[in-house]
Amino acid sequence: MSSLDANFMHEVANTPRGRGVLACIQCGRCTNSCPVAKVMVEHNPRRLMEMIILGLRADVMLGPVPWHCLSCFTCLDRCPQGGDVGEAMFAIRNLAVKDGNIPRGVLTQARSLFEAGRVVTSGRMALIQREKCGLGKEPIVDVEAVQKILRKTCFDKLIQRGL
Amino acid sequence: MEKGVVVIGGGIAGIQASMDLANRGFQVYLIEKSPSIGGRMAQLDKTFPTMDCSICILAPKMIEVAHHSNVHLLTYSEVKEVKGSVGNFKVKVTRKPRYVDETKCTGCGICTEKCPIEAPSEFDENIGARKAIYMPFPQAVPRIMTINKEDCMDCGICEKVCPSQAINREQKPQEIELDVGAIVVATGFDIFDCSMIPQYGYPQFKNVITAMELERLLCASGPTGGHLIRPSDGRIPRSIAFIQCVGSRDRRDWIDHPYCSSICCKYAVKDAVLIKEHEPDSLVTIFYIDMRAFGKGFQEFVNRAKSEFGVEFVRSNPGELREDPTTNNLTISFEDPVTRTVQDVKYDLVILSPALIPSAGIKELAKMLGIKLDNYGFLKLLDPVKKPLDTTAPGIFAAGYCLGPKTGDIPDSITQGSAAAGRVAQVLSVGGGHR
Amino acid sequence: MKYAFFLGCLVPAREPNYENSVRKIAPELGVELVEMDGANCCAPFSVQSVDYMSWLALAARNLCIAEQMELNILTLCNDCYESLLMTNMILKEDKETREKVNTILADVGLQFKGKTDVKIFSDVLYEDVGLEKVKNAIRAPFNGLRVAVQPGCHLTKPKRIHFGERTAATALDELVEATGAKSISYSAKDACCGGPLRGINDAVASNVAKQKLNSMKAARVDCIVTVCPFCFLELDIGQLEIKRHSKEEYDLPVLQFAELLRMAMGMKLENWEIKIHKVPLTKIINMVEAK
Repeated sequence: MSSLDANFMHEVANTPRGRGVLACIQCGRCTNSCPVAKVMVEHNPRRLMEMIILGLRADVMLGPVPWHCLSCFTCLDRCPQGGDVGEAMFAIRNLAVKDGNIPRGVLTQARSLFEAGRVVTSGRMALIQREKCGLGKEPIVDVEAVQKILRKTCFDKLIQRGL
Repeated sequence: MEKGVVVIGGGIAGIQASMDLANRGFQVYLIEKSPSIGGRMAQLDKTFPTMDCSICILAPKMIEVAHHSNVHLLTYSEVKEVKGSVGNFKVKVTRKPRYVDETKCTGCGICTEKCPIEAPSEFDENIGARKAIYMPFPQAVPRIMTINKEDCMDCGICEKVCPSQAINREQKPQEIELDVGAIVVATGFDIFDCSMIPQYGYPQFKNVITAMELERLLCASGPTGGHLIRPSDGRIPRSIAFIQCVGSRDRRDWIDHPYCSSICCKYAVKDAVLIKEHEPDSLVTIFYIDMRAFGKGFQEFVNRAKSEFGVEFVRSNPGELREDPTTNNLTISFEDPVTRTVQDVKYDLVILSPALIPSAGIKELAKMLGIKLDNYGFLKLLDPVKKPLDTTAPGIFAAGYCLGPKTGDIPDSITQGSAAAGRVAQVLSVGGGHR
Repeated sequence: MKYAFFLGCLVPAREPNYENSVRKIAPELGVELVEMDGANCCAPFSVQSVDYMSWLALAARNLCIAEQMELNILTLCNDCYESLLMTNMILKEDKETREKVNTILADVGLQFKGKTDVKIFSDVLYEDVGLEKVKNAIRAPFNGLRVAVQPGCHLTKPKRIHFGERTAATALDELVEATGAKSISYSAKDACCGGPLRGINDAVASNVAKQKLNSMKAARVDCIVTVCPFCFLELDIGQLEIKRHSKEEYDLPVLQFAELLRMAMGMKLENWEIKIHKVPLTKIINMVEAK
């Protein structure tokens, strides 16, 4: 167990998507509704909120939980107190990325986004298929505009940290 | 001569207020919209933590208040208009037609036996049946039959069999005007509609019921004669789960009952113990968020429930119920707070503890009386600390759950009923002044 | 009815059959799809996981393009729908955040004004085209085909964003039934397909998908119909993954609603489209040919 960070709860609550942590009463309805919690013992949304509130920063940031969330928002719709657990997952992920922790799958999509303006680009086969069946050319992304935006938000620097 | 008092609501709080005022010498008009006084307490099986039979301790009070020479019982009646102010209220009341002559009916029950129409019984929370001509429960006061016109098909059988010729199908609504000095509101609560939280499967899953429905199943005067059986197949349940806070402590926009209903932890433990007493080998689990057992004797009762009776207490709020379509059993997935792993447990019967909400019609009543409601829809107090029985209009007081959860149990409702009577007496007494 | 057509990334890359079906049925229903020049990725959950402002700014750029076209957006993907809808709502309601995003967008010559709405394909059919018109376009109804409708999480959750008189999920049920098929209820209908975890933790993704597929199998349905490309891949290729690892077979063909509707409107799917479906469509095709 890591040492406690008394300010962690507020650090999360001050992010736009982490506001709900201050409302959590640890009732457990989120974990009891979570489709991943049913099949994966380490993924426990209530426990994640508990760790945030207790200040177990390292356990939260380096743990598997936020990255195994499906973002199905079942927990969010069922939480009686506005804990917004599904949103808090994004808040934690954002903080983890700032620390340089990005899972490989996310990094791949992020790089594709920066380089081509799309998280998933069409492979050669898909492009040939379009021509053959008369769907015409794929819409062209204005990659320059995307890169301008992502440089302004320092997205490119964030993904550099993960490399 | 002191002016009389109108008491709106014939539950335990209204009954107590009426008795105290009548004993004090006031003329009391006790108005109740259903055919009998008694309210929620009459529906319960046993009261916590003493495990007294609820109707057994209520019925003597019901009879006493009905027979008091200073009390005018106006059941099956509703307030239609209120004018005036403290010391001088003009209250118009509509007496709905029972189509039964009150002076002739002896409550013998032959008509009910012969009536061919069955309808869901409101007193039994719609899980039991009554007839189109009925008495809501055996200890009803007044002991007079009522015909529900919507259910009645005018076959005339009741008229034929009544030995007292009490049926009067020409009866019309009666308007009366009362001239009183003060009003006490004691309209109680309604029960949250659990279908608004569809994940619990109510009412489609047959073996998911509300706590009030459970009370009717446990009660000897209820639809199963007091035998706890599963609605789907009539078998005795061997594993029972209680889910607390269904609708209570819920801030979501579409639910919007952020308060704690304050008595559900107590009655759930009471019911759990009752079930365990009956079937000691059954599994009884209470799924809670917090166990709020305040007041004299309640924490001890909870401790006994655990150590003596073996009731399981699990601090985890279920998110959903899954039903096995062939057995109608329910599966609850929950995180075991000790091992922190999610488990699936099967239950024969699941009981939901619903939020207790302001009674339907309270908005219209408040408008008629010119009093304000609070954020939750209960009656607003003039000063929640210094004047906890005064509504926002002088001369109009309130008692019981219509004021909101507060502590909310039966002794508290009785206390508030007496206290409201005291306030009325202060305001109306000759020499007391209108304060 | 004209819409700014937001294709997203996944449909052109993996499911051109979905795009093809939509383009074929749109003109029959009076829906005109206008290309969005230069539109970028909607910024789905993977991007949102990296950075908040990057998400809002990228999603907002698409909203601005639609605003300039003076059209509402029509999307084909639940995740695009969620991203654009949430961004639209946040920027319309939160002045401070809107100003921050507009500062970033100024660099690319755009400003978010909050003048457009985002709609998913099934909602356009239900709300704008209307059930009557859809029913009138049916020429080869599916008589009693038992369908497990997969609404997908982001069609209706979070409720506070999708909150309305009727939910998009029941609209999808009605649309499926308009083709003559029957929408069969099954216990795991509201559950997630597990798609977002594909590539992150395949074992867990498969376990989540299994819960859905088991429930559908128990309800004895003929096929699965969805509107989301993620759900489609997870439930279609997902069945092959599950068969590979645990030998369980479901044999439940998966269709996009646009494909179901296209066939019901009397058009045949082409061979290349049929081949994209990893669980064979033979049952369904035979049913269509027999009519």
